[in-house]
Amino acid sequence: MKSSEVPGFRPRLKVLNREQVLAIHSAALEILEKTGFKMEHPGALRMLLNAGCKVSGQDWVRLPVKLVEDALRSAPRQIDLYDQKGNKTMPLVNGNYFYGTGSDATFTVDIETGQRRRSTLKDAANFARLIDGLENMDFAMSMSNPVDAPIEDIYVYVFAEMIKNTNKPIVCIADSGRDIAKIYQIACQVVGSEEALQQKPFILNYSEAISPLRFPENVMERLIFCAEKKIPVCLPSGSNAGGGAPITLAGAMALGIAENLIGLVVHQLAGKGSPFLFGPNVSTLDMKSTIVSYGCPEWSLTQAALADMRDELYGLPIWAYAGATDAKLMDAQAGAEAMFSIVTAMLSRANLIHDVGFLEYGSTSSLEMVTMANELVAMSRFFTAGITVNEETMALEAIERVATGAPGSIFLMDDHTFEHFMQAQFLPKLLDRSRYDSWEQSGSFDLYKRCNIEAKRILSEQQVEPKSTEVLKGIEQILQMR
Amino acid sequence: MNDFKALSEAVNKGDNKTALVEVQKSLDAGSSAEEILNKGLITAMNEVGDKFSKGLIFVPQMLRSAKTMQECTNLLQPFFQEGDITSKGKVLIGTVKGDLHDIGKNLVSMMLEGAGFTITDLGVDIPPEKFVEKTKEVKPDIIGLSALLSTTMPAMAQTIEALQKAGLRDQVKIIIGGAPVTEKYAQQINADSYAPDAGSAVNKAKALLGIS
Ligand code: B1M
Repeated sequence: MKSSEVPGFRPRLKVLNREQVLAIHSAALEILEKTGFKMEHPGALRMLLNAGCKVSGQDWVRLPVKLVEDALRSAPRQIDLYDQKGNKTMPLVNGNYFYGTGSDATFTVDIETGQRRRSTLKDAANFARLIDGLENMDFAMSMSNPVDAPIEDIYVYVFAEMIKNTNKPIVCIADSGRDIAKIYQIACQVVGSEEALQQKPFILNYSEAISPLRFPENVMERLIFCAEKKIPVCLPSGSNAGGGAPITLAGAMALGIAENLIGLVVHQLAGKGSPFLFGPNVSTLDMKSTIVSYGCPEWSLTQAALADMRDELYGLPIWAYAGATDAKLMDAQAGAEAMFSIVTAMLSRANLIHDVGFLEYGSTSSLEMVTMANELVAMSRFFTAGITVNEETMALEAIERVATGAPGSIFLMDDHTFEHFMQAQFLPKLLDRSRYDSWEQSGSFDLYKRCNIEAKRILSEQQVEPKSTEVLKGIEQILQMR
Repeated sequence: MNDFKALSEAVNKGDNKTALVEVQKSLDAGSSAEEILNKGLITAMNEVGDKFSKGLIFVPQMLRSAKTMQECTNLLQPFFQEGDITSKGKVLIGTVKGDLHDIGKNLVSMMLEGAGFTITDLGVDIPPEKFVEKTKEVKPDIIGLSALLSTTMPAMAQTIEALQKAGLRDQVKIIIGGAPVTEKYAQQINADSYAPDAGSAVNKAKALLGIS
């Protein structure tokens, strides 16, 4: 039987109309032209001056709209990230979305003891290995700001651990031009050469400007390095509503976008056509505790809005967050907040979605939380795929067979069920649907415990294809360099 | 005499107009500036701080009250007498070398100011030498160091060492804070105190100077 497909709709979240998009964009441009910004990197300042910006005082810059237009035109609309074996696993474009972990958690919930403790290099290794084994996690970040690495080279050490424990793409942090250069060297060793890395980049650098409107020298140094070497980079500032930015979300977005556009302009001046992942971090400063929230609806809302702005205007792939929480344990709050951000990020088609698995507003990382999020992404993916409508799925023949069949006929026994159930249903692995008795018999475990067991299983069983001894030796040499 | 009820209410509400009027009224009625400050403003601000730590009000409300108090103190300034105690103490504060985070440090500064301390805020990325230099100049009672990165925590230790070397360590109390910082780390690096948030920074500062 030939099936005729009915044109499908895939669930999609929209939160801004075109008028709102344009209004926020012009507010951002007004910030660039009228308010201006502080550029502390002399080289970047010179580039901006030469390109037609006005500078007042030592380093206060005002930027004409034309430069923004040029930069938006020259930046690539698609960024392809590859895994370390050269497969294109993350084409950041259109409606594609990819999830991964976050960077510098100060603490980790120990998988053996359940206690929160300072994170270590071993944790960076474990998180990378877990990511390697989870089918819905697409890239690794360190999840650890290790207490046991030489402090001036923390970011190089965690990078080396990730390289040893996963072959997926890596989003990396650096502090200065010095450590990004070392990270770059390691990355080149992994793929064989600078050209190979340029052709098939598997790293993306995550740098941050400072809201409001401040561009420190070391941050720009990294940005320019990446632009010149064509390493994909993002530069979200901390334009958190009520902290770095106005409390009202429209203003916080306008500021964050203005800051991103400045980053983009400098980046394109330094390396025309180099890949730049767009998007600020617009969370909120909590008005009681004064933490920057990693579980609030505002952050999800502003990145959904940014996705709309991308579709209407910018056309560049975007940076986002999800799967994190302000809860201190992986409890019901953690589940609720993680799911909220995961499903909304997917429904708005954010492209690169980080911070999965953070507890305690980004201070603590949890292997169990990442494992749970993997399943929540699967659940969201199922929802986001929408409903396939065609002859086969309408199942009129099966309906007729069962309705007119022998007494006691049920769909469960029909071939149509056998043929389709794998795709037609979401089949959870960790979310428990067992009957009470069997749940009790298998230990009455809650989701946290089940995730703990699953994470331990993956860590012990996951076979990460090892790097060659040559590469490993090269890494050691780079680590020993002072 | 004056019970400063209306003034206290205005400070609690963050109603600066009414508060200024009330301060003027009290001055006109013969209250001394010191009395208005201590029995009126600071007492009211203590109530505000208390409500905040109990979670009854939000940060912007507390900050508005602090601002109101500040404006009132400015109005009182010319009326203070020689020997009046108008400041709880001098605090020199900054984010240490290599660290650019300042929102938490700014909040700590504002809360300390609201509680009656005089603040010199050096900003972010402040090297040990600068703390030493400014300590000589400002002669603070307390030095506050903030760090949000594990990688910049050692700069706190270096700053304290530098103060030690310059022979200034014994003349000041040192409070440290910021997300990765702990009580234990404070002891380890020979700081006097650690505060997990802005509210407790005020309490710790007061405790260090033996005031309430
Ligand atoms: C003197 O006595 C005292 C007493 C108490 C004191 C005190 C002093 N100082 C603070 N306190 C205490 O009282 C305050 C008020 O109650 C509290 O202050 P807090 O600062 O904790 O609270 C503030 C009111 C609100 N909180 C904040 O402002 C910090 C929020 C988070 C999200 C954060 C932000 C906003 C930023 N960041 Co950064 N940032 C993160 C933070 C993650 C998080 N959720 O906490 C953290 C701190 N950052 C981190 C990192 C890694 C980085 N950041 C960087 C940059 C930035 C922004 C510029 C984007 C921005 C700062 C803007 C600014 N003007 O400050 C980079 C470093 C830049 C640098 N050299 O400093 C960069 C390296 C990231 C990068 N890709 O480059 C992580 C640090 C990990 C670690 N253990 O070292 C981090 C925990 C996020 C994470 N999980 O990865 C208490 O700590």
